[in-house]
Amino acid sequence: MIEIKSVTKTYGKKQGVFTALDNVSFTIPDGASVAIVGKSGSGKSTLMHVMSGLDRADAGQVIIDGVDILKLKNKAVDSFRSDKIGFIFQAFFVQANESTYDNVALPLEIANVSPRERKSRVEEALAKVELSEKMKQKARNLSGGQKQRLAIARAIVNKPSIIFADEPTGNLDSTTGETIENLLFGLNKQDGSTLIIVTHDKDLADKCDIQIFIKDGRIESINSGEEVQS
Amino acid sequence: MKTIDISRRAARSLRSAKARTLLTSLAIAVGAFTITISLAAGEGARQYADKLIGSNINPQALFVVKDESIFNGSVQQAPIREYNPDATTTAAGVTIKRLTQADIDTISARDDVEYIIPTYTPDAQFMQFGSSNTKFAASVTTYDRSVLAETSSGTLPSLGVEIKDDQATVPGTFVDTLIEHGVVKNEADLIGMSVSLTATKATATPTSEAITAAFAQGGQAAVEALLRPEEKRFTFTVVGVTKKSSTALSSVNAIQISSNSAREMTEFTTQGTAEYQKYLGATVIAKQGVDPMALKDSLKESHFYAQTAKDLQGVVFTVVDTLQGIVLGFGVIALIASVFGIINTQYISVLERTREIGLMKALGMRGRSVSRLFQFEAAWIGFLGGLIGVAIAVIAGLSLNPWITETLSLGEGNAILIFVPIPIVIMVVALIVIAMLAGWFPARKAAKLDPIEALRTE
Repeated sequence: MIEIKSVTKTYGKKQGVFTALDNVSFTIPDGASVAIVGKSGSGKSTLMHVMSGLDRADAGQVIIDGVDILKLKNKAVDSFRSDKIGFIFQAFFVQANESTYDNVALPLEIANVSPRERKSRVEEALAKVELSEKMKQKARNLSGGQKQRLAIARAIVNKPSIIFADEPTGNLDSTTGETIENLLFGLNKQDGSTLIIVTHDKDLADKCDIQIFIKDGRIESINSGEEVQS
Repeated sequence: MKTIDISRRAARSLRSAKARTLLTSLAIAVGAFTITISLAAGEGARQYADKLIGSNINPQALFVVKDESIFNGSVQQAPIREYNPDATTTAAGVTIKRLTQADIDTISARDDVEYIIPTYTPDAQFMQFGSSNTKFAASVTTYDRSVLAETSSGTLPSLGVEIKDDQATVPGTFVDTLIEHGVVKNEADLIGMSVSLTATKATATPTSEAITAAFAQGGQAAVEALLRPEEKRFTFTVVGVTKKSSTALSSVNAIQISSNSAREMTEFTTQGTAEYQKYLGATVIAKQGVDPMALKDSLKESHFYAQTAKDLQGVVFTVVDTLQGIVLGFGVIALIASVFGIINTQYISVLERTREIGLMKALGMRGRSVSRLFQFEAAWIGFLGGLIGVAIAVIAGLSLNPWITETLSLGEGNAILIFVPIPIVIMVVALIVIAMLAGWFPARKAAKLDPIEALRTE
């Protein structure tokens, strides 16, 4: 479970202070698919950074599986990300010079997983995104959709409890984008991991269980499926 | 993240930037090449010097003097000293204590001394060969049985054995002059020929009573005879013509006679003077099984100062070490230049791979691991540069060795560039460490990158 309580984040000093997140609170149950929706500069990216431990909130609590990550030391936050978080970015951020296999193996290497276990996990992850045949190819030789599938394999290989996807279909054509969306939601249902998509795409957001609308650093509204049902 | 995984990723990332990696490591290769060559040349020179000393000097031999200042080089700066009738004054006006016959006897009587030969100074006015009447300016020295001599004609006793008292050797350099003057037809004719050395006794100024007595007895002729220097002919048989061998330290350019003959001749010429039975030094041969260094220390307690073959080796090695140090210095300068190359390359690499660094940090990679990734890349560059430099040095050295040996006429089987693995391995390891230190600055920059900023970079 993810509990965000009164999180505030500001940038700059004195006169130039900019409040990116202003007293944000919400709760996400395990295994949900969540869309954080907002325009550019609304604070949705900052919210993702704060929730994933990439950035530190100035005030409030970010409680993930009962642990407030704001109280953890940097080293512990690093291993928290390594163990529990998977990332998917709009620009893929695959290592072009590395092979598909080595791209996917990176999170496992960071988490000190033994080489033998690494092999089976990488093969498993690549099978899930249907890239098994491209295992030895350099990432630069893959198409955009294949690169994003590679990024997904990299995000799921360590079996994280939360996957953050920052505009995962933003750089893809609609057909490929749809494949990626189906893949993400399928894995979310199949593996039971929480999927958090940061997007300004309403159609994509609508496919999620929960939509969190954010504007000027504040929660505008939260639309959860359960509330709709009740 | 495990060291081996970081190291593998570092190697892969270098492989994907082959040209840059190669160029950066070539800068290190220049330094590695120079250092390898200097190490090899130093080793070669030391081994060659060792060979020279080993084949020229009896390891049991010591050169013993009474005056320590001869060895420590302070003779020139020595202050004035108390007058000593046993001392001599050098050309530089410095007084040096000499060994007396009593000192020689003392050392000779020791249990650990095989034999002692003082530095006789045989001096002849002129020399004549066979039945020829032509007089040649003479130069005579004592036959050194502790040094191996090579002959171009005739035979000499083996190392450590003295020639007979009526025998002499002639240096090869005399031969041409002798043939020119018709004394011999060829070199081989010299063997078995007699050579006579005519020595003159130093004239002691006679007392006025002696002059008066001589005049009373034989008139002016008797006085002239009294004042005329006394001459004596020493005759020897030539047994060998010596030549300089390729491993000899120096050639002897004089007639060599046995130490007994040399003593006889020296004592004849110095009799009645202050020089009689006074020696600047002496060659002492330690008994087999006696450590010459121990003998040296023991002699020091009796106020005799000695230099062993090892000491001479030390002197030669000091010269070699100095020359080697100079070449080594150039290598180090090249390395310092290459360090900036590494820093520069790695800074560019960090800038180029900002997003990659951001991603790795987002995935939970510790700053320390990121830093190590870049340091390992630098280490690989250092390793590669070291290998290239060593490889070029070894190939060049091994292929040039025969040519160098021939050009410097070092003698068959001697090489001046000798590559010893351990110092080379140590050097390569040192290069890796230096490269890692150079990579530290860019690596720190990489480690400090903010992942959010890094991932924002488009």
